[in-house]
Amino acid sequence: MLTSSFISLFRRMVVGLIWISFMLPLVTAGPVRARTKSRPQQPSPTQASSPSAAGENFKFEKADLELLEQVNLLDKRFEREGLVFEDDAANALLKRIGEVLVPRSEKLENVTWRFRALRDPQPNAFALPNGSIYVTTGLMSLVDNESQLAAVLAHEMTHVVRRHTYLQNRSNRKKFLAMNVIAAVGAYAPGGAVGAAITIATAIAPLIVIATIFGYSRDLEREADLKGIDMMIKAEYAPEEMVNVMKLLNKDIEGENIRLFYNDHPATDERIRYLSNYLGARADKITSQMELNREQGAYFQKLEPIMRHDIQLAMNSGRFRSALYLAQRLAGFHPDSENVFWLAESYRTLGPRTAQLTDKELTNSAKKDAAKKREKRTLEEEERDLLATAGGQEEAKAHQQKAEELYRRALGLDNPAPVAHRGLGMLYEKQGRKDEALSEYQKYLDLAAGAADRERIQKRIENLRRPAP
Amino acid sequence: MNGQTKKLIGPIQLAMALFVLITSASAVDAQYLHPKVTKKETVIRNVIILPAKVDIMRDSMKGPEGMAAESEQLSNRVEDAVGAVLADKHSVKRTTAAALSAQGDQQQKYNLADFQTKFDELLPKILKKKSDVKKGRFSMGDEVLNLNLDKSVDAIVFIRGQGKKLTSGKQTFNILFGGMPAFLKMQIGFVDAHNGEVLLYTDPILVGDPTTAVSRLHAALEKGFKKLAP
Repeated sequence: MLTSSFISLFRRMVVGLIWISFMLPLVTAGPVRARTKSRPQQPSPTQASSPSAAGENFKFEKADLELLEQVNLLDKRFEREGLVFEDDAANALLKRIGEVLVPRSEKLENVTWRFRALRDPQPNAFALPNGSIYVTTGLMSLVDNESQLAAVLAHEMTHVVRRHTYLQNRSNRKKFLAMNVIAAVGAYAPGGAVGAAITIATAIAPLIVIATIFGYSRDLEREADLKGIDMMIKAEYAPEEMVNVMKLLNKDIEGENIRLFYNDHPATDERIRYLSNYLGARADKITSQMELNREQGAYFQKLEPIMRHDIQLAMNSGRFRSALYLAQRLAGFHPDSENVFWLAESYRTLGPRTAQLTDKELTNSAKKDAAKKREKRTLEEEERDLLATAGGQEEAKAHQQKAEELYRRALGLDNPAPVAHRGLGMLYEKQGRKDEALSEYQKYLDLAAGAADRERIQKRIENLRRPAP
Repeated sequence: MNGQTKKLIGPIQLAMALFVLITSASAVDAQYLHPKVTKKETVIRNVIILPAKVDIMRDSMKGPEGMAAESEQLSNRVEDAVGAVLADKHSVKRTTAAALSAQGDQQQKYNLADFQTKFDELLPKILKKKSDVKKGRFSMGDEVLNLNLDKSVDAIVFIRGQGKKLTSGKQTFNILFGGMPAFLKMQIGFVDAHNGEVLLYTDPILVGDPTTAVSRLHAALEKGFKKLAP
């Protein structure tokens, strides 16, 4: 009894202290003022920018250094886990663009610039505060030219130069603390009408705090977009390519850009709008170097291997429409080459799916439904369900025909890739053309002596030879 | 809502947190075996354990903080603990994945990474309906053969884990106002090395500081593999 009274008294004291500590800053500073104070300044369209100035003035705190240590380890983890694409040409290109955007002479404390391609078919890029910039193979394959890749890098480098990750971390820490305090207050609010009001307020408060976290994040993204444009102009990259990147991202080939209640990035439409406004007349000033950097052929030439690698990654992770889109672009650029094989592979794996999503399938609610289905169904089940429909059967038939035609074309080229026989084997196996499948698999094994997937194909041959039960 | 009801909220929160943990912990017994394993058509005697991916964070009053170095250490520890429990209690021999990556080149490193990613993509589907493992519904396909494992390897083991460690401030806060204690939740899948079928899925959980609770980790894993033949 005595113990419970003591605990009760102690709790009341703690709650009292929390109330005082929580209310005091609100009374003195006010939440709105506190928020606007921490928001980065919006640059005006005419304002000359000097992004690195913010970085030089940045004073590191203990929490920042702890974060830095964490991200340094993250870099090592990406390498260890085989997520970094070790391609000399791709990495050299990223490095060169990065160095043009921020000259070596501009030094920032605790920043070592590293530019890497990440093996991930989803178009994305991110920056770590230690200066490591990662661009996924999905995004590198999606963009049309060097200037667009520079736009991505300029955006990410601004995050580093303006110390956005540290600022966001500091801001989040304060907000999490506030959320914990609010939770404590809600748990021990007094009874009656006042208690009910406090309970309601504490229930709503975390939502407001979360909204401010996302709001702050969107502000930083906007700043990175705008400062990125300044960086591009300085480095002689056509700035409107930043807008074009946004348009590419807006394509949503897989129907996965779902707008949620809270979003950490501004909507792409909104980004296109404010970027166009910010650019204004400056978009018209194009130098000869800018024109050169916009050349698609040179870019595709350099990145052909990474694009092929990405098509394989896309197929592995069920992003069949993206794989087809990229293969079509590659085959269009360099038709009589290995690219024909990749196009054939894309059609074969697309199976009964449509090549493009319809407008109806691209509505937010349809995308949400599709995402729920994707969470539940395996790819094989999705295919089976589609094949049960007349539309799915038609698509599958058309895609198989195209794939067969393209595999045959690939085999008719000079130095044909043996993998085209494997592709044909897989296609025939699916169609139930056993003998032809066996023949193609055998040809593949004969031609590709050291192939890593020999065991897999041998097993398939064994299964095909086994008499049906 | 009167004052008495309000005073109950704290203990209720604590009770709720404990309830969640107890119900999660009871899931330890819910292991899911492929019918081939239950019928002993497939016997798991030799496995290769792929590098575990265990991520823990420090939960403080100022929010979650990463623990990259500790996560790496714990990943190795969990990997070894799984190997030890399988060897001690189920006579399962372990082939190390290190040997696999050492034999290969960059392409082999990518293959391994892609398999790990493939498991990560399959995992949410398994979690949606774990009991379907018993129907033999899940498979990673015959691409497993591209790893070119030794013929004697029966299964490939994938380990994932998420956990949290509490700072002393957060611990005190939780005692006073309720909240989730420190824990480590793992997801372990065994995939047939010959055809890619998911043979076993289990998700053991341990309550306590994941960086120090070594014996509890072994106990949780032993429970997690209880249905596997001795």
